[in-house]
Amino acid sequence: MPDGREPVPAELTTSTDRETLEVDVLIVGGGPAGLAAALRLSQLQHEKGGEPLSIAVLEKAREAGAHMLSGAVLDPSALRDLIPDFKEKGAPLAAEVRDEDVLFLTQSSTFAFPIIPPPLKNHGNYVISLNQFVRWLTSQVEAAGVDFFTGFAGQDILMDGATVRGVRTGDRGIDKHGAQKPTFEPGVDIVAKVTIFCDGVRGNLTKELLRRLELGDKDHPPQFAIGLKELWELPPDRLTAGTVIHTLGYPLKHEEFGGAFIYALPEGQVSLGFVIGLDYQDPLFDPHMAFNRFKQHPYVSKLLEGGQMIRYGAKALPEGGWNTVPRVYMDGGLIAGDAGNFLNSMRLKGIHLAMRTGMLAAETAFDAVRAGDTSRAALKAYKDRIDRSAVRDELYPVRNVHQAFGYGLLPGMAFAGLTVATHGWFPEDLHGHPGHERMKMLAWYYGSRNIDVAAPSNATTIDRKLTFDKVTNVHFSGTSHDEDQPAHLLVHTEVCSSICGPEYGHPCIRFCPANVYEISHDADGTPRLQINASNCVHCKTCDIMDPYQVITWVPPEDGGGPQYNGM
Amino acid sequence: MILVIAEQREGKLNRATWEAIAAAQQLAGGMPISVVVPGASTGNIAQELASASVAEVLIAENAVLEPYTPDGYAAACRTIIEPANPTFVLFAHTYQTRDFAPLLAARMRKPLITDVTGINGTGADATFTRPMFQGKLAAQVKPQGGPPALVTVQIGAFRADAVQKGGSAPTKKVDVQIDAAAIRQKPEAPFREAKQAVDLGQAERIVAVGRGIKSQENIPLVEKLAKAMGAEVAASRPICDNGWLPMERQIGSSGQTVAPKLYVALGISGAIQHLVGMKGSRTIVAINKDAEAPIFEVADYGIVGDLFEIAPAIIAELEKP
Repeated sequence: MPDGREPVPAELTTSTDRETLEVDVLIVGGGPAGLAAALRLSQLQHEKGGEPLSIAVLEKAREAGAHMLSGAVLDPSALRDLIPDFKEKGAPLAAEVRDEDVLFLTQSSTFAFPIIPPPLKNHGNYVISLNQFVRWLTSQVEAAGVDFFTGFAGQDILMDGATVRGVRTGDRGIDKHGAQKPTFEPGVDIVAKVTIFCDGVRGNLTKELLRRLELGDKDHPPQFAIGLKELWELPPDRLTAGTVIHTLGYPLKHEEFGGAFIYALPEGQVSLGFVIGLDYQDPLFDPHMAFNRFKQHPYVSKLLEGGQMIRYGAKALPEGGWNTVPRVYMDGGLIAGDAGNFLNSMRLKGIHLAMRTGMLAAETAFDAVRAGDTSRAALKAYKDRIDRSAVRDELYPVRNVHQAFGYGLLPGMAFAGLTVATHGWFPEDLHGHPGHERMKMLAWYYGSRNIDVAAPSNATTIDRKLTFDKVTNVHFSGTSHDEDQPAHLLVHTEVCSSICGPEYGHPCIRFCPANVYEISHDADGTPRLQINASNCVHCKTCDIMDPYQVITWVPPEDGGGPQYNGM
Repeated sequence: MILVIAEQREGKLNRATWEAIAAAQQLAGGMPISVVVPGASTGNIAQELASASVAEVLIAENAVLEPYTPDGYAAACRTIIEPANPTFVLFAHTYQTRDFAPLLAARMRKPLITDVTGINGTGADATFTRPMFQGKLAAQVKPQGGPPALVTVQIGAFRADAVQKGGSAPTKKVDVQIDAAAIRQKPEAPFREAKQAVDLGQAERIVAVGRGIKSQENIPLVEKLAKAMGAEVAASRPICDNGWLPMERQIGSSGQTVAPKLYVALGISGAIQHLVGMKGSRTIVAINKDAEAPIFEVADYGIVGDLFEIAPAIIAELEKP
């Protein structure tokens, strides 16, 4: 197939020259969850002594933190438990939260909420750059002597029946047609007694685990949103560092879930972002355009006036909450962090939950390896630990809130208020639907109206000062990939050239925030999908939102991807 | 004094050497300039370079410099630089320089400033401009820890035709002692991975084509224009993605960076990824039907119009006897 690789099951590929590395615990993903797990393991090692465990961390980015993107406001609770002297150790917590506002935007006006809704209270939290925070956390992990492999992604899961045996890293040195280049190196089999999957939101390996082992609950499919973010440099004194502003309303329609954040960092830098539920109905809606429209709102454009956009990024986030957490333990494997949907969408926070679940996974893995029993029954202790922890205390009461927003903004807000008042009492849990199933076909959404499918329904003017086209934004994400490799987006393109145009008008060209997908037409007018894989910022939106579920994201080779310095 | 390290292959001078000499002349502020020609057998390159207004041209021949190895060149340059103790050593920022200059700087424990696009001031107090973040920012750099400071100059940043010619500088052979056993690399015969590889960085004129060309059948029009202008053909990304022109002709952040004397952009909108690859060109001519296209923000001359009318008109004009 010309447009990508078929994923090859690990057990079917030959392994003539393949190296094997054996470790006790393998952690896939060097984000907050994976790094907290690694550090906790080495702490347990220190406390309990005995034969040292061998630990390895795989990170797909070329350098630590390069693929990390978040708002971010950090709740320091898990950090405090993991590294009590984090301040002395120089944790880069850019600014303590000082001023908070929640605003409701209409097309031209701004209304401040009279009180800050309790879940959005951020007293005692910090505005951070997740990129810098993760780089610091990595330095702590490396100082503890853990092997941290950057530029290596897990490509396949090594399985023996229902037992996870480890992970195979991707081959390197394959050209765009799939042939071996002179630099070819086969991937390495990393065999572990316990593998902790921390591969992030819609992690490619966790997705495969969920499918093969049926770990998810069909009544509570995962829910996702896409977050787009720009880092701006503003004239001094525009916003005090530590100012945290959230907005609801414009430019989203009632049926669309989302809002914006504005977090002020020191030295005039401001993190500006927009989060939109990946369960919108309009097939011609473009999340990136919504972000542009948000910036054109008088309140925001005035704030940004005279400033300069210096970085851009996009990433999906798991918003479904407690009921969408899959079974996170299995024979030889655990799932932590965003990969396991541990995120509190009501508080817009997941870093502390990622770290906490990483730590609990580490404690479970440590005991299991020491006891010589890494079976599913033994690793269930992880779930028991979660149930006794602050993770459940925080997520269980708000378990229905995101699903309630599926009924619209006002019902969702009313339900959220009720949840806070009753601490989450509700007779029956609300079911969710996969977000991509909510996207309507053109004919359903627009009826007989005349529509232009060539432009997003929420298109706006692009001036490359305040508003940007995707291609310009991608430049500011620092994204680069080796060009001579197979596309790392596997698409069943027969859908693109047949039914997708008439049914949905090729929504991939709109929901992708990085211009990866373009439609060109052959001489006979047949639409043909062009995949600009080297633009990909690894947000996973296409893997999530494509209505036919024919797009699969796999890791590119050699650490390609965005470079989120300072984001 | 300033040393300029010339680059040659098989007795043929790399013309970027002239650009390094031009940079040295701008930097000198009265300091004498010596040009060094390393190689096994450098033919009459020294005589060619002696036409420049420099103090001397040194021929640093040694059989072990053929074939090129980074260890050999680093050792040869070091034996010449250290006794001469120049204030600056200049190189053109070629593939070969990129290969051995970092090694040389590390061995000598001296500063290395790479890909310099501008020199501010003259003499020992000069500062250097170099791009950062894919050309988005420029940094002013002042070397510390020299002398000497090693400086590589970006291809096209200094004009080869601006070299002051001064008649005939003396040429002399210098003794280069290199321990052949210290050369760890054993190069195989050179090969090109891609057929007909083209180094657009060497082209003085480039005609680049973008999406506006519409279909592959129209590529010959571009080739015809390039031929009439004595230019190389290049392209923006979509053209190469479509396979209408080979990848090696792609300009931009995922292709080559060029700075020819003349860059003609045909039907290229000018996405920032393309601009970073060509905005250093001396004269940029943009032909595009969209007057709002960002290419016009960097163009010296812009024609808003249909390239299918304009390109043939230019060809006709150039082909007039």
